[in-house]
Amino acid sequence: MKRIFCLLLAALLALPALAACETIVTIVSAPEQTAPQRPPCFPDPADDYIPLPDTENLAQGKPVASGAHTDVYVDRNVNDGKTDTYWESKGFPAEITFDLQGTYTVSTVAVCLNPSSIWEPRIQEIAVEVSPDGETFTQVAAPDRYQFDAATGNRVRIDFDPMPAAFVRLIFTLNSSSRTGGAQAAEICVYE
Amino acid sequence: MKKTILLFALCLLLILPAAWARAEQPTLLTLYEGPRTMQSSQTAAVTVNGYDLFVYDVMVNHEHIWNANTQPTTTPMTYFDFEGRAEVEIRMPGLPQIVESAVVQPYAWGIEPEVQGGAVRFTITQPGQYTVVFNGSVNKALHIFANPLETDVPDPDDPDVFYIGPGEWVMDAIALTDNQTLYLSGGAVLHSIISVANAENVRICGRGLIDGSDYPAWNQPGSYARVPIDLNHSKNVTVEGIGIVNSNCWNFNSYSSKNVTVDNVKIISGRQNGDGFTFQSCVDHVVTNSFARTWDDSLVIKNYSGSTKGITFKNMQVWTDLAQSMEIGYETDKGLTLDPEITDVLFEDITVLYNFHKPVISIHNSDDAFVHGVTYRNITVENAMMQGDNGNNKELIEMTLQNSSWSTVRDEFGSIDDVLIDGLTVLNTVDGKIPASRLAGQGEDNRITNVRLKNVSILSEPITDLKTLKLRTNEFCENITIE
Repeated sequence: MKRIFCLLLAALLALPALAACETIVTIVSAPEQTAPQRPPCFPDPADDYIPLPDTENLAQGKPVASGAHTDVYVDRNVNDGKTDTYWESKGFPAEITFDLQGTYTVSTVAVCLNPSSIWEPRIQEIAVEVSPDGETFTQVAAPDRYQFDAATGNRVRIDFDPMPAAFVRLIFTLNSSSRTGGAQAAEICVYE
Repeated sequence: MKKTILLFALCLLLILPAAWARAEQPTLLTLYEGPRTMQSSQTAAVTVNGYDLFVYDVMVNHEHIWNANTQPTTTPMTYFDFEGRAEVEIRMPGLPQIVESAVVQPYAWGIEPEVQGGAVRFTITQPGQYTVVFNGSVNKALHIFANPLETDVPDPDDPDVFYIGPGEWVMDAIALTDNQTLYLSGGAVLHSIISVANAENVRICGRGLIDGSDYPAWNQPGSYARVPIDLNHSKNVTVEGIGIVNSNCWNFNSYSSKNVTVDNVKIISGRQNGDGFTFQSCVDHVVTNSFARTWDDSLVIKNYSGSTKGITFKNMQVWTDLAQSMEIGYETDKGLTLDPEITDVLFEDITVLYNFHKPVISIHNSDDAFVHGVTYRNITVENAMMQGDNGNNKELIEMTLQNSSWSTVRDEFGSIDDVLIDGLTVLNTVDGKIPASRLAGQGEDNRITNVRLKNVSILSEPITDLKTLKLRTNEFCENITIE
């Protein structure tokens, strides 16, 4: 009787101790992946980007000239084919001119910022002029305010009536970004 | 016999409720599988309560002098969430020798691990950050981040919530705007940066890692700085629970922001300019229960454009492989503002696991700010191993009003006033001696005044006079006291 009682007592005491060691584990599983992916909660906005002509960008790699720039953001960044480098003028108005090294019938200019969403939405005011000789310019797009937004690729497209041009000049007169007092462009593209 | 039974019954009545109450609280453990695209560390294998953990190899740097082209090495790190009792077992197959000894830091945990057959075992009952050093060498020290269980996990279906689950993810950058939440699940490794600019009421939380390893160091050709957490002119921002590793520059930056709360954020860096928590011209920031092992200043306050007020670091662990542990400066008026100040700053309950380079406590007022109302309370330096640069800058405490290569204002100087160091304990030093300290004002109108030290103990010796503290001052320091 005494022995049974002692065993019962030991069991009663031991059970809680054993239970105290219990671990309730939650294992958060990793999905099947073979390479890093874009998080699904951030759909790729590329489908909503403003489309650009699929013809040759006549400005890429051509001689470019502008006025003073900010810090290290020189004008040759604007037609190097990379949107993670950019040109930033020192103040307004800011002119930037491309020598197309030939005469083309141009009809579209695109101004692109870095498409990353850390480039917050901003407005820039831009006019476009063209010239056959680099001396006399004709305005083909009057100054207008264009919205840059990462949701649409942080790019704008300026279409105008086709004009023969050997030189294309953009004149920036405003940038609403609080981070700068100058014009900004990662790439400026010129199309026939 | 009856008496005995009665006695047993009484004992049962007394003991069982307590025992069963304990039994009702099993250990709750949350483990996170690593991404299928990554491999768990070959250096360390860790289990908790018998379950395998995924161990990450993250960049650190044992080069304790500035090198623009430094090459980091790696150290193992792992994490889990728990409540209750976690029995940790570690094996270190990546060490050249079998583990014969191990130390768990902070020493204040009072953990004496069992080392047997190359395995290290110990038990923890409180969430926190644990660092294990093997065979008396900091090489391949293991960082274990034992988080509390998550609470208040955001609803993935909330349109203002970006919910990133476990796995390896990459995107150029994430910009959060007003009232948005980013949740980074445990088990997630996110190669990106998070920018909060001109926004308010933003929350970043979870247990996952932001990993900058996909970019070269910011100062290398073709690269640029990608700050993992970058707050800019924002307010009411909360950051909780995540880890930041392998950054290619600074780690957690806040600039001209207000009302920022940071809790349980862990930073490990090994590359150029890998500052930890760095706040410029900020107001009302509180950082608690967090960890910074850095290859540049660990906890930093500067003025870039305007003044700083109300910054608290509390219950922090710091490991400084390069530069200073708690740095105010050097830039204190980079924005050339009117009457710049840095005031109402508190460092409390800070454990410096190691400092290998420059001062632990430093105010380098290198422009013309008025730095005042700074308190250091209950600071424990477990290993003050400052080697300095060419024999200089290896003080324990340094406060100066001097130009530096980071100065913007070169023809005017500021002042430092009302600094309290209450509770400073140094357990080990590089040579077993008390390290020197230095205070240097600049001129009659640019002084260091009213610096009070209390409860200072170095190498178990209570320090009650400035001479024993080896504190050098110049003629432009006034009312510097120790008690």
